[in-house]
Amino acid sequence: MDLLLQYLANGIVNGSNYVLVAVGLTLVFGILGVVNFAHGEFYMLGAYTGLILVINYGLPIWAALAGVLVVAVILGLGAEGLLNKMLKERDATSSIIASFGLAVVLQNSALIGFGPSPMLMQTKYSTIGVEMGPVYLPLQQLLIPVAMVALISVLYLVLRYTWTGRSLRAMAQHAVVARMCGVRVQRVAVITFIVSALLAGIAGFLMSSVYMVYPIIGNMIVLKAFTVVILGGMGNVAGAAAAGLLLGIVESLTSAYLGNGLRDIVGFVIVIAVLLLRPQGLFGRTFQRS
Amino acid sequence: MKKNLSLVILVLLLAAVPFLVQGSYIVSLLLLMLVYVILTTGLNLVTGFCGQFSFAQGAFFGIGAYTAGIMSRDLHTGFWVHLPAGMIITGLCGLLLGIPALRLKGHFLAIVTIAFQTIVYLGLVQWTSFTGGQNGLPVEPVGDVSLFGAHLFTIDGLRANYWLILTATVVLVVIAERLVKSRLGREWVAVRDDEVLASAIGLNATRAKLTAFVASAAFAGAAGVLMAHYMGNIAPDDYTIWISCTIVAMMIIGGKGSFYGPILGVALLTLLPEMLGDWARYRMLFFGVLLVLAIALMPEGIAGRVRKLRATKEAQA
Repeated sequence: MDLLLQYLANGIVNGSNYVLVAVGLTLVFGILGVVNFAHGEFYMLGAYTGLILVINYGLPIWAALAGVLVVAVILGLGAEGLLNKMLKERDATSSIIASFGLAVVLQNSALIGFGPSPMLMQTKYSTIGVEMGPVYLPLQQLLIPVAMVALISVLYLVLRYTWTGRSLRAMAQHAVVARMCGVRVQRVAVITFIVSALLAGIAGFLMSSVYMVYPIIGNMIVLKAFTVVILGGMGNVAGAAAAGLLLGIVESLTSAYLGNGLRDIVGFVIVIAVLLLRPQGLFGRTFQRS
Repeated sequence: MKKNLSLVILVLLLAAVPFLVQGSYIVSLLLLMLVYVILTTGLNLVTGFCGQFSFAQGAFFGIGAYTAGIMSRDLHTGFWVHLPAGMIITGLCGLLLGIPALRLKGHFLAIVTIAFQTIVYLGLVQWTSFTGGQNGLPVEPVGDVSLFGAHLFTIDGLRANYWLILTATVVLVVIAERLVKSRLGREWVAVRDDEVLASAIGLNATRAKLTAFVASAAFAGAAGVLMAHYMGNIAPDDYTIWISCTIVAMMIIGGKGSFYGPILGVALLTLLPEMLGDWARYRMLFFGVLLVLAIALMPEGIAGRVRKLRATKEAQA
């Protein structure tokens, strides 16, 4: 029983990471219809920026976080120009291929710039442990679910109660009608990409103390984030949050009880099953796609 | 007829390359291009002609290669058994992937094929007892070829493999061309252009899509077996989602749905990054930039652009 709780806690830490990455992806997909393969590179570059600032320049964590935010905004702006502005009115594969090209560019730049050897962020928080009953987590890992809940709540409130949020939701529902009602489509696109890059960059920064950072970490994380996006229903933020936590927990339990080798596969198997049986996702509602 | 003649000359020229150039660099580069020609031509059947997006060509490539590797380890069979076996097994896997494709379209289909691709890759990495994991598997060279007991020649080393793969490529490209022009191929095109209309006039859309998936996978399987026997060792990292994306990119940049476009795309994306010389360190970087530029500036691909230019010229004349 105690072990089960520990597995659940580990699953929630990993799941929170998936949520942060997947919510950005689902926003970009739901609002703009862009499938962004380079999303994992936002995560990777967020992690590297934080690492370099803390380790090489000795900056405090909050300053490094500010650096990560700046880099993420730049990446989001660039990606929007490339994948959305330039490729408007194209079919599904165009954005996939272009974002794949962008991912190759960013990954290889990181390889040339930072080298292939893995790095890990060590801070003074790494050694502080927190015990909650039978569950033990280092303070740094505990920060991840906390940050996730805070960020996703803010995002939810913004989407729900501000005009910017309303225009984002309007775009997701029907781009043409939203435009006729006076939504500034280009501005919405830029904001969506920036928010998406920010969330992924922060996730990478937070996880750089848990897992090793190397130039190709983005590959697996983006694929997993896609599974979360599908499970949660494309474009559904709350669904992605639930599905991300679920994936983290399922992975943790699979690796504990069924074998570590199955850990990474389980999500993809679930995705194929879900798409066959419930194409709108676990938490999605059916509606007509035009 | 003129077109056929020029193609025959092209093939003869390609066959003569090992005699004309020094060293192995150009021959091995051409060999790699030929393998990609088989892969993209296969993908073009399902995407270009039947309209179903697939990002799983790399997985089928891997399934073909591992069929050769696992059969030679467990059953001690040779290349001539592996080639048909690899094509049949990948064909069956193609059928398996084709079933969800019947219900899904666009982004959703693309993502299911991506999930399939990832499952296959992870399976190759994790199922160590069956696939050898990250260490991979050794594969024997094709070796002696004999007919009715008489020894003809030995296929070993770069040159012989090059000619073998060139022969296979020509045969498979001709098969693909015949397929597309057959009744089945026309059904694919009909389903691509308007599925509802195709069903309304009595075509079996289910059959069309499934056969397209099977054919496309079988091509990749053949490429996998050929490459496995040439390389002598197979490892999962040669069959990732990035290979699939590269194949899709080659097809799109060349021009999907045209027959020779994807072959041009292969040439462009393999040769240009090789021309960097001292800048070879930045090869992959350059490849990515090329990809983005090609998609942004030439959405219809090289073949589509040529077709368009020709059409405007005729309209003016």
